[in-house]
Amino acid sequence: MADSLIVLEQVTKRYGADTVLDRVDLAVAPGQVLVVIGPSGSGKSTLLRCVARLEEIQHGRILIDGKLVLRGSEDAGPIPNAATLRALRNDIGMVFQSFNLFPHLTVMENVTLAPRRVMGVSFAEAEALAIELLTRVGLEDKRDAYPSRLSGGQQQRAAIARALAMHPRVMLFDEVTSALDPELVGEVLKTMRGLAERGMTMLVVTHEMGFARDIADDVIFMDRGVIVERAPPDRIFAEPAEPRTRAFLERLLEREGGGRRN
Amino acid sequence: MSDFQFGRIVEYLPDLINGVWLTLWLSLTSMAMGLVLGLILALARYSGRKPFAWPAYAYIEFFRTTPPLVQIVWLYYGLPGVFGVDLGAFGAAAVALGLNIAAFFAEIFRAGIAGVDRTQWQAARVLGLDWVDTLRFAILPQAARKVLPPTGTTVIYLIKGTALASAIGTPELLRVGQLVANETFRPVETLTIVAIAYFVLTYPIALAFHALERRFAADRA
Repeated sequence: MADSLIVLEQVTKRYGADTVLDRVDLAVAPGQVLVVIGPSGSGKSTLLRCVARLEEIQHGRILIDGKLVLRGSEDAGPIPNAATLRALRNDIGMVFQSFNLFPHLTVMENVTLAPRRVMGVSFAEAEALAIELLTRVGLEDKRDAYPSRLSGGQQQRAAIARALAMHPRVMLFDEVTSALDPELVGEVLKTMRGLAERGMTMLVVTHEMGFARDIADDVIFMDRGVIVERAPPDRIFAEPAEPRTRAFLERLLEREGGGRRN
Repeated sequence: MSDFQFGRIVEYLPDLINGVWLTLWLSLTSMAMGLVLGLILALARYSGRKPFAWPAYAYIEFFRTTPPLVQIVWLYYGLPGVFGVDLGAFGAAAVALGLNIAAFFAEIFRAGIAGVDRTQWQAARVLGLDWVDTLRFAILPQAARKVLPPTGTTVIYLIKGTALASAIGTPELLRVGQLVANETFRPVETLTIVAIAYFVLTYPIALAFHALERRFAADRA
């Protein structure tokens, strides 16, 4: 796809002798919501972390908006242009399983720090934007609270607001509800659903199958560093093409007793 | 010691107070030097990049494992002879103590920085913060909270350690105390007064660090 926002070409990532991503190809179109599922250790999180440039890759290329941002360290060829990287560094927002808010800063300070320091936005402007975003995620009354005073769900929503403050074109969600108490999962998923409805391009790693079914344009099943199957949720949940996908989903349904959340 | 006599020592109080000022000044200059150099060394070691980490490691181990008294003597007697640089007694003592304490601060700071969860660096990275801003706004404020207690202890240790400057004749508190003791033949009483003066200098530091700890505790639940 020529007009893809994110493109991974033959991306290979190794930790020592372990191959975590094995020649992965992936294209994400603008506005698309992709949900990545798969057993633990399948490379889902690493895939996201490579797109966020938190990891090196050994082979392949990652392009954002057609521009090279990451190249295999063992490959020859052009390296990403420093000016391009600077220009694109705000394009990708990421939310982590463990929230990773700055604990010594209030919610407001967490959300305004990067706009002020990275984009040079004035304090007043950054604060106005933060209030808008905090209202959107339902935290307008927590602006002066420190993260330790918030529930997990509130922290995760604050982390989403913090990422959105940089006006990213893509949002990466790395198992963002996995560390939450079950009753707090819904509020975070609701926030993410709102984002998807606004047309945000999203790459979501999750174990919430009900949520994947509702929100995804495509579901990607990964196993052992390989994308085994990519299909719309109706198809992949009802009649997965690959035996490995079917086995994974059956195991999952057994564990959840056939029920599903959301 | 039923015959403690402070009578004649009182005459020398102005000298002792001058000694206190010099000790304070010596402490402040070497502390400022040690804090700045210590942070640079800590970052160099933490970077894990050999061209930075290795010299920092060598520096830290050298200054931690050789006696500060010898370092003061080297700078005072050694530098003028070898390099033709004469720092004077105060300068030599201040620089030697600063270089020495930097090694201790460096290890404390390195532990503090390493104690900040790696995910904090990643959070800053995906927000687009550069290295300096990441340190300044995300990492160091958290590290500072962790290292307050050992840093306070080290500062107190440094203040008392400035007494080593007496060995090269810097008229700081202990040196003045020795002179007064010789004049008055009352070493125990004089040194008791000196000890009280050190307490007066260091105890407020201890209190200040406790106050900082309490203030920084505000963001913990």
